[in-house]
Amino acid sequence: MALPKRIIKETERLLAEPVPGISAVPHEDNLRYFDVEIHGPSQSPYEGEVHFAVRYRWRGIFKLELFLPDDYPMTPPKIRFLTKIFHPNVDKLGRICLDVLKNNWSPALQIRTILLSIQALLGAPNPDDPLAPDVAKSWKENEQAAIATAREWTQKHAVPN
Amino acid sequence: MPPLNAPEEGVPAAGLASWQQDNSSTSYASYAPNMLSELPELGPLPETPTSSPPAPGPLLSPPASFMRTTRPRRFSNISISSVAATVGSETQSACVGSTRDLTGRSPVLLINYQELQYESEVDKSLECPICRTPFHAPITTKPCGHTFCSECLLRAHQLRPVCPIDRRPLDVERDFCKARVIHDQLDRLRVKCPSQGCGHVCARELLAVHYERYCEYTPVLCPDNSCDLWIARQDAAPDKGCLHKYTPCQYCSKQVMKAGLEEHYDRECSGNTVKCAQCDSSVVQHRMENHVANDCPSTVVLCKWNKYGCGKSAPRHDVQAHEKKPCIYQAIGRLAQDREDDRLIISELKVRLSAAEGRLRVAEQEKTERRERKRRQAGNTNNTMPPFVPDLNLSNSPRAAASYNNGTLDSPEDYMLAQFERMETQMEDLRKNIHELDGLHSMRLLNDTMRLNEQIAELGSKVGVIGMHTTWLMNVQRQSRGQQRAGGVVGSPLSSLASSSGGPGTTNSATGSVTNAARNAPDNEGGRYYNSSLPLRRNSDGRGENPPRL
Ligand SMILES: [Zn+2]
Ligand SMILES: [Zn+2]
Ligand SMILES: [Zn+2]
Ligand SMILES: [Zn+2]
Ligand SMILES: [Zn+2]
Ligand SMILES: [Zn+2]
Ligand SMILES: [Zn+2]
Repeated sequence: MALPKRIIKETERLLAEPVPGISAVPHEDNLRYFDVEIHGPSQSPYEGEVHFAVRYRWRGIFKLELFLPDDYPMTPPKIRFLTKIFHPNVDKLGRICLDVLKNNWSPALQIRTILLSIQALLGAPNPDDPLAPDVAKSWKENEQAAIATAREWTQKHAVPN
Repeated sequence: MPPLNAPEEGVPAAGLASWQQDNSSTSYASYAPNMLSELPELGPLPETPTSSPPAPGPLLSPPASFMRTTRPRRFSNISISSVAATVGSETQSACVGSTRDLTGRSPVLLINYQELQYESEVDKSLECPICRTPFHAPITTKPCGHTFCSECLLRAHQLRPVCPIDRRPLDVERDFCKARVIHDQLDRLRVKCPSQGCGHVCARELLAVHYERYCEYTPVLCPDNSCDLWIARQDAAPDKGCLHKYTPCQYCSKQVMKAGLEEHYDRECSGNTVKCAQCDSSVVQHRMENHVANDCPSTVVLCKWNKYGCGKSAPRHDVQAHEKKPCIYQAIGRLAQDREDDRLIISELKVRLSAAEGRLRVAEQEKTERRERKRRQAGNTNNTMPPFVPDLNLSNSPRAAASYNNGTLDSPEDYMLAQFERMETQMEDLRKNIHELDGLHSMRLLNDTMRLNEQIAELGSKVGVIGMHTTWLMNVQRQSRGQQRAGGVVGSPLSSLASSSGGPGTTNSATGSVTNAARNAPDNEGGRYYNSSLPLRRNSDGRGENPPRL
């Protein structure tokens, strides 16, 4: 089936004017499937440790996969974390609990707005609406420890060596 | 008498007509049935094509666009299946039109407005926030004033009854209204005909007419009744039979569907390409003529505004750059083109109106005839209640008879009345549309001519000033000549004038003497003393300065 104009336009814009800290690149053989990378927002446990000794500031880079179903934009894109992450709203399989990806989806939203929402979710975890109950529980009981764990996981899984 | 329900020649079928039929904000509900019948098929991942091409054996799959054309369901707001579903119900079949059983004409693949290609970039403000293409049949939400294509908004609304932008709850009956303001702009967007192989470009409002009535490349149902694929109208002659059979390509000997040969040549044929003598690109032999005429960057062509005065003629490549610059005739050309489009759109609407009027007249006639007959019958049976006698005349109208026999309506009279009412509203609508278009048109004309008028007035006044200057200069010259002839007096009226205004370097070469004023002029460049017999004024003298009164 031909790719709808809207997807072509969105892709063109994503590539031409990328959102800072976010990249989304479509697969050549399936233009509905995107490889996504989101930088952990600064001041968050997902930022990743900063090595001043090295030439680069290493940042937590989280890989995600995004798929646009056939009736996109009437249904939301399907999106999932590939990088392991310790976050109350992301479960073991990488699925994300975000209202705009479910009930609050609107066909006027776009890939870029969704990715921005996910980045924002990293900066503001919401343990009251959890998808991973155990993570949420530890988050509520001992936030400092949970944040330390999140930092550790980020360093281990999301910071390129 | 023609069947009343069948769209007449003047009435284009699909989307357009149905768009114009309903005017009140409440009648959007009439879109919904179409949507409803569409939705089950738009459900999650419709992976299998609705009608698969005849199994070509172990051969190749048909070319991509071929696959597309086998899926009527993806097209526009009315699909063939929904037509079939609604043929029985009088209310919908009226707007739908182009089916084989109603008109005898073969149905065409409906236009998908979201896939249209526009001649030039379309303003972002005319883009639907859902499909990101220029609005088609736009609806504005009353409470929040957001605009969407009717198809997009209704689909979104089916899923969640809120505004897609601000999530305000919306009610189809109450909160939707047609976005009339931008119609004029949208109608005039220049768009390419979606039929493969057709290069026709026209105003979008006129596209449906071209596509449904005139275009030779419009996909129509295969004349072979056992085949449900689409084929270009020009290849659909019944005597040609079904062209959906595989033959080897004459160039690359790949197996290709006969009907898809052209596309194969365009897209993938690798065999027997030749070098274009002009531009050095390789082109399929079969397409060379077309390439030279329409694509080759080296062919010498005229600027596209040549009709309006541009004389540019150069290789296509240069002309395209020239047109982009843009060509100075573009403004006037666009104006003229708009005017032309308006004219065509208005005449198209007039045709539709007169067709509707004709049908109305016929219906009215029938109504009075029937009344007359009833009265006569009543008179004949002398006060006894007349038994109901079905009107024989109505059997001339197959549709009426059919729907009566099918039991969809109580009697042929009811049918006639329903038809009559429908036509009345339709005509009212058309009248309104023409009125509106007229208004818009004259507004635009006024706006455009006003600007031109202003410019002409300005030019006129400038010419007047130049005229005065000329008269003045000639007078001066005449005077000085007269004086020379009289006695060669050095001080001309000009010199005294010049010294009093403190400015212009002037010289009177006839006597060879330079006036005092000139010698004392503030920036006295030697080169400025011309040997002409005309007195000179410098540009810097100030445009605002009035010429001396004579
Ligand atoms: Zn739209
Ligand atoms: Zn709104
Ligand atoms: Zn055409
Ligand atoms: Zn066929
Ligand atoms: Zn070939
Ligand atoms: Zn060439
Ligand atoms: Zn030109």
